[in-house]
Amino acid sequence: MPEPKKESQLEDIWPLSPLQQGLFFHARYDDGDSYTAQLVLELRGDLDAARLRAAAGTVLARHANLRAGFRQRKDGTPVQVIQRRVRVPWEEIDLSGRPDAETEAEAVADRERARGFAMAKPPLLRYTLVRLGPGRHRMIFTNHHILLDGWSTPVLQTELFALYLTGGDDTGMPRVAPYKDYLAWLARQDRPAAEDAWRAALAGVDEPTLVAPGAPEPPDGAEPGRVRHLLDPSATAALTARARAHGVTLSTLLQLAWGTVLSRLTGRTDVVFGAAVSGRPGELPGVEQMIGLFINTLPIRVRVDPSATVADALARLQREQADLLPHHHLGLTDIQRLTGAGRLFDTMTVVENYPFDPALEDGGAGTDLGGLTLHGVGGYDASHYPLALAAVPGERLSLRVDHRTDLYDTAAAERVMRRLLRVLDAIAHRPDLPLGRIDVLDAEERALLLDAWQGPRTEVAEPRTITGRFGALAAARPDAVAVRVHGGATLTYAELDARANRLAHRLIGLGVRRDGRVAMLVQRSADVIVATLAILKAGAAYAPIHESYPDDRVQWAVNEVNAPVIIVDAATRDRVKDVSAHVLAVDDVNGCPATDPGIPAHPEQLAYVMFTSGSTGLPKGAMLNHGDVVDLAMDAWMRTGAHDRVLVHSPHAFDASTYELWAPLLAGGTAVVAPPGRVDTATLERVIAAEDVTGLFITTTLFNLVAEERPTAFARLREVLTGGEAGSVAAMRKVLAACPDTAVGNVYGPTEATTYSTIVAMRDALADPAEQVPVLGFPIDSVRVYVLDAALQPVPPGVTGEAYVAGAGLGRGYLHRPGFTAERFVADPFGAPGDRMYRTGDLLRRRPDGTLEYVERVDFQVKIRGYRIEPGEVEAALAAHPGVAHAAALVRTDGGVKRLVAYVVPAGAAVDPVELRAHVAARLPEYMVPAAFVALPTLPTGPNGKLDRRALPAPEFGAAGREPRTEREEALCRAVADALGLDRVGADVSFFELGGDSVTALKLVTRAKQAGIELTPRDVFTHQTVEALARLDELDDAATTLGFEVMLPIRTEGSRPPLFFVHPAGGLAWGYFQFQRHLGPDQPVYGLQARAFTRDELPESVEEMAADYIEQIRAVQPHGPYHLAGWSLGGLVAYELALRFQALGEDVALLAMIDSFHGLDLNSERREVLPELLGGIGIDASMTDEHGEPDVPRIMAALAERGDALATLDERSLRNVYRNYAGGIRHAEKYVPGRYRGDVLFFTATRGRRDGDLTGAENWAPLVDGDIEDYPVDAEHHALMEPGPVREMGAVLAAKLDKLHSARP
Amino acid sequence: MTNPFEDPEGTYLVLVNDEGQHSLWPSFAEVPAGWTVAKSEDSRDACLAYVEENWTDMRPKSLAEAMGA
Repeated sequence: MPEPKKESQLEDIWPLSPLQQGLFFHARYDDGDSYTAQLVLELRGDLDAARLRAAAGTVLARHANLRAGFRQRKDGTPVQVIQRRVRVPWEEIDLSGRPDAETEAEAVADRERARGFAMAKPPLLRYTLVRLGPGRHRMIFTNHHILLDGWSTPVLQTELFALYLTGGDDTGMPRVAPYKDYLAWLARQDRPAAEDAWRAALAGVDEPTLVAPGAPEPPDGAEPGRVRHLLDPSATAALTARARAHGVTLSTLLQLAWGTVLSRLTGRTDVVFGAAVSGRPGELPGVEQMIGLFINTLPIRVRVDPSATVADALARLQREQADLLPHHHLGLTDIQRLTGAGRLFDTMTVVENYPFDPALEDGGAGTDLGGLTLHGVGGYDASHYPLALAAVPGERLSLRVDHRTDLYDTAAAERVMRRLLRVLDAIAHRPDLPLGRIDVLDAEERALLLDAWQGPRTEVAEPRTITGRFGALAAARPDAVAVRVHGGATLTYAELDARANRLAHRLIGLGVRRDGRVAMLVQRSADVIVATLAILKAGAAYAPIHESYPDDRVQWAVNEVNAPVIIVDAATRDRVKDVSAHVLAVDDVNGCPATDPGIPAHPEQLAYVMFTSGSTGLPKGAMLNHGDVVDLAMDAWMRTGAHDRVLVHSPHAFDASTYELWAPLLAGGTAVVAPPGRVDTATLERVIAAEDVTGLFITTTLFNLVAEERPTAFARLREVLTGGEAGSVAAMRKVLAACPDTAVGNVYGPTEATTYSTIVAMRDALADPAEQVPVLGFPIDSVRVYVLDAALQPVPPGVTGEAYVAGAGLGRGYLHRPGFTAERFVADPFGAPGDRMYRTGDLLRRRPDGTLEYVERVDFQVKIRGYRIEPGEVEAALAAHPGVAHAAALVRTDGGVKRLVAYVVPAGAAVDPVELRAHVAARLPEYMVPAAFVALPTLPTGPNGKLDRRALPAPEFGAAGREPRTEREEALCRAVADALGLDRVGADVSFFELGGDSVTALKLVTRAKQAGIELTPRDVFTHQTVEALARLDELDDAATTLGFEVMLPIRTEGSRPPLFFVHPAGGLAWGYFQFQRHLGPDQPVYGLQARAFTRDELPESVEEMAADYIEQIRAVQPHGPYHLAGWSLGGLVAYELALRFQALGEDVALLAMIDSFHGLDLNSERREVLPELLGGIGIDASMTDEHGEPDVPRIMAALAERGDALATLDERSLRNVYRNYAGGIRHAEKYVPGRYRGDVLFFTATRGRRDGDLTGAENWAPLVDGDIEDYPVDAEHHALMEPGPVREMGAVLAAKLDKLHSARP
Repeated sequence: MTNPFEDPEGTYLVLVNDEGQHSLWPSFAEVPAGWTVAKSEDSRDACLAYVEENWTDMRPKSLAEAMGA
């Protein structure tokens, strides 16, 4: 530091106080007037301008800190450089005689504020004296906040005018306590102790308390709005008395009040806001008379525990504040840094002990200064806070709510003031009241929230039982069509009634009783409806079991519901061999009468039990009653005609089935049954058109897929309902545009309250193009949705709270779980006496017009494809694996793609993810199997020791691989990353290893096209990596057959012996591409494809194919051990290959057959091969031309629309597929296999099997010497190459290959 | 937001309505009309244990009566 020279202007160099430092740094980065303050005084009477100027000069001379300029040293340390002498910036402006003098004066003040200050050039203040007329002046004092604070203003004002009276002579005035002393005092403070104290005070605050999260920066120079209230003397006295009675300051009391208001404005029970403190240390002599920057803003944390009384809360707050008192010197920036949460709050409180809010002075008499009187006109102190409470104590407590007008209008700020007054009233008069019982709402607000915005109260439909209503309809209109199976039979109401009656008699005979349960595992068909109705007619409730439940869980479910009977069909019968209940085939009704069994029903009688995922590791059964179902079916929205012919396509065990069955069948409509299995978008469109379907429900995921692939699919519907997860506005707009005559209804509601609680017409809701949120709308008839805070008080619009559903449709509870029921179905404080409400765990909020909006879940429960999943249940399954010490599961959205991800801490050595996947798949339904398994050394925990979910890493699908090298590669990498929702992808990594499948391949094609690169899905299937796809242009025509070669290289890298897959009857091996990602990077994979694509002569038998392929395989792998696999016909060829390798003395280590059977009569002579082939892949089978021949152009067009590999076939290839398929079926029939010495791994497609169909083991055991391991796969034969089945089979294959590999020396 | 029904440290009541349905209830909140206190202020676990023990027939009373049970 250079020593000041004698005549130097430099008087001293000081450090900055923490608060000055903060302002200094901000001032350098922010533009404009953010840190400029202004004091404007009206001076009446004769003014001697020169005297005032002299007084201003003396003030500057007395207070060294006002002469500071601010600079940084070379090392970056900021310093304040004190000049010995500075001239007072003084300007006089004469506006007298100007008609617009007043306005002009204001403009001058504005201009002064806008001018700003150069930090290095002292002084950072200036005076402007405006003469308005005779005896009328206005003094405008503008300063940078870094010099002085609001507390200093009255000191400055007093000193200035005292010096005015003496003509600038300060000899009689007390010595100024220098600001430097304050800086020295600061330096003496124990900083580490202060940091510890603040850290402790804010422990556990991990989120800021914001009333305006995401608010933009305030517009430059915007004045805050101000709403004022003057409390009457008695209310003021009551508050003062309360403060005194509890030994707290008024300030603490106001902080509790503001904290409570804030809690209601944010829906939180632990809130933080800022409080301005004077920052003047009492031990510093003369500190109250100092002019300078001392003020500090400190975070105030208030725990608004709803159960704490006013008295308790005051005591706690006072204690906490007292502990922090010695630590007020720490700057806000430093305090916020300690918590790591960044900005902690966006509201402020300040108790102004100096009343310098001029408007409060009533325009009364000002200070008399020798004929000059002072009147406050205004001041300006930039407030950046959305809301700030200022209070001025006095006989009448004066309150002011400052608000950013771009965020809160006057009405909103006035509402905040009213809430504050209610809280203050409770604090003043009811010290024993729990904070949770303080009501902050206006009566009108309450009426809107609890009444006007609820579902309209409607008459209860009679009879309010399913069987009663159905019986009446069957009698009234027996010939109306009740059930229509697509492409199959129909049942009239009378027929359905009769069939259900018969089965009901059978059930009663088997011991089924009123209010009991009957389990169901029946494929989608008319039988599902017959059985469902029959169970109800027998007086019991149906308990549908999801088809993808593993067998163990089917058994568990039957026990759980105490079902004496489980109803099955031919396709599911084998799955319940070990079930303890009586297994009843749905058509086993011999000798039962068609008359109604006459079991009485009651609206409160149980209608169904539906399993929902449970956090404890097992699902729980939600119980719904007859009346609940009738309420839903008879809701006005359901009875517009749009839901008279409803498509039944959801799994029966999914609560959408309540709507699908009963919305039509309780109102004389028709339930249209879709084909069994997964319904794809093409089928959906076809069935809608063919069957005149008027309405259907579709989960969010499927809806989005339809919007992407085939938005016109809904065009013939009157209304499509969608819901289950947060919807996509873009997808809804797309469907609305493509289907001008179709309504889109967004529905929301928990299973526990019968499927839907709210509904909204999206065509209206999205009419405004700026609308970006798929709102939930309003409750349906007689349903109430309350949005409540932690005190069980309704939250005002705009505030997030938890949704509780009450009224019509509220179920009974959870089967055999009284405790759990009592905590979720709770007393309803707002309904009729004795009503209950269901606590959903969903966070919702209302818009100002009452519209409900979804925010998020309270817990970690999630939905995948419409299914509710408790991560706890997945975690329990993971933890059951012996190699897993700890596990966590969560759904994360990375790059717009939602995935269930498992995190595991291995118990010892590493756990193989493939094995883990198989382990989980054997215990949980398919939709609960994680998409990725991430091994971690430990699970991250937060400060409270709980799992810190936010710290769990994203699974690294895309991390491996090299960077793109060309522009084209870069564009393609981006397209692949987009399509798969990854951050980045390597240029040399296969699309399928990254998690790609046929649907995402389509997305990739679209993304690539947007980037100007033309690809076909086939290119993706055959070239796979960005590297290869980018080179496509360079490839010549010779390469166009790529993808049809006999030996298709799927993955050539890896040190293990390859796995060879043989093509099915169609001849292509593309379906096997998907296996590579399940098999690990060290496992090479090849596909064998039919010769039909490369030459015209076709092989005549399985043996001939095998003889050909064996040479191909040996060219890749000359000697064993061989790994062979094949789907359908491919399995037979693989079997034959295995025999031949053994005959050659080679070792066959793995033979895997995927639903391949020998000796079946496939009826090859009379089979219409093409329609069947096409039907098998979801194409309308009836596309023939006038000669009855396949209409190839139409088929090609239909294929091109499809989203899978077949979409890319050209006509010649299609004919080849056809030839091959026709030949393949003949070969399969003729093939007579020999004896095989070894084990067989078999996969059986369990759907679509007929009675008497052999299992894999039964079919092959006579020929196979070894063991046959038979894995059921929940899919139809032709759907085995879809991603779900491939994942299941891939896991099994991977485990097998790993085992073989580790057993090898 | 801590749900008032999920506070392990909180104190609770067990309420019962005319249908014999049980509800856990935070003790700070007013008891809604139509409900009576079946178990006075206690820990959450104790209240749930009470429910498990005492709410043995989950059918609403009106249904149980209609079924003659």
